[in-house]
Amino acid sequence: MNEQLAAALAAEEAAIYAYGLIGIRLSRNQVTAARAAEADHRARRDQLVSRLDQLKASSAPAPAGYELPFPVTDRESAFKLAIHVEDGVAQAWRATLATTTGADRATGLSALTSAAVQAVRWRKVAGVAPLTMAFPGRAT
Amino acid sequence: MLSVTAAAALAVTAPAGCGFFDNDPEPIPEPDPLQPVLDEARALAAAYDRLAAAQPDLSARITPLAEDHRAHAAELERLVGASPAASTAPSAGTAPAGTLAEMRTAEQAAARTANASARTAPADRAMLIGSIAACRATHVEALR
Repeated sequence: MNEQLAAALAAEEAAIYAYGLIGIRLSRNQVTAARAAEADHRARRDQLVSRLDQLKASSAPAPAGYELPFPVTDRESAFKLAIHVEDGVAQAWRATLATTTGADRATGLSALTSAAVQAVRWRKVAGVAPLTMAFPGRAT
Repeated sequence: MLSVTAAAALAVTAPAGCGFFDNDPEPIPEPDPLQPVLDEARALAAAYDRLAAAQPDLSARITPLAEDHRAHAAELERLVGASPAASTAPSAGTAPAGTLAEMRTAEQAAARTANASARTAPADRAMLIGSIAACRATHVEALR
C-alpha cells in the first residue's frame, strides 16, 4: 500500500507543479478553475503526507522541476497539460485501490473520481472529444 | 479399491440428493455483489439508446456515454457471468425515452452504487469497480 500511496503523492506533486505553469496561459475565468483544481491537489498532497507519516513510510522528496511531456506555450497546450496531469493523478490513485481497504480505499476512490471529473471539465473547456473515458485511471 | 469406495459413496448419496427433497425449489445461488452494478450499466446504455432514438440531435453527445456503459457491462459480465438479468431487464423498445436531466439523476444514483461496491470490493476487483464509479461521476459532469 505504501508504495502506491507514495506514487500517488508523486503524481499530486507533479500536478501542483504543472498547474503553476498552466495558470499563466489561461484567461481569468479559467485561472479561477485552475486554482480550484490546484487547491484540490494540494489538499490531497497534504493528506498523503500525513498518512505516509502515520504509516512511517518514506517517500521521495518532490523534485524541484519536471520535464514536461510537451511545451506549454499557449492556452491549447495549457489545457492539454491540465488533462494530462489529471489523467496521471487518476492513474496513480486507481493503483492504490487494490492495496487499500477502509478509509484509505475511500480516499483513493474519492481522489480518482475527482481527478477524472476535473479532466472532463478541462476537455469540455478545451473542446476535446470524447469528454469521457470508460475506465478513468486505466493506462491507455 | 478406492474407486469402488468412491462409486459406492456416490450411489448412497445420490438418492438423498434427488429423492426426499425433490419437491423443494433449487436453492437460489447467492447473487454476485456486482450484479446491481452490471444491471445499472445495461439499463443506462439502453436508456441512452432510447433517448438518442427519440432525439437524434442528442446522439453525438450521448452515444459515447452509452458506449462507456457497454464497455462496463462487458467487463462486469466476465466477472459475474452472463446472468438472467439480461432477459428480465425491461426491453429497450418499450420503456419511454427519458430526458437528459433524468439521465443525470440516474448516473448520480449509479455512481453511488458503484462507489459503495468499490469500497468493499476484494482487491482484484477494486480498480475496475473504482474506474466504473469514477466514469459514472464523469457522466454527471458531462451532462451538466
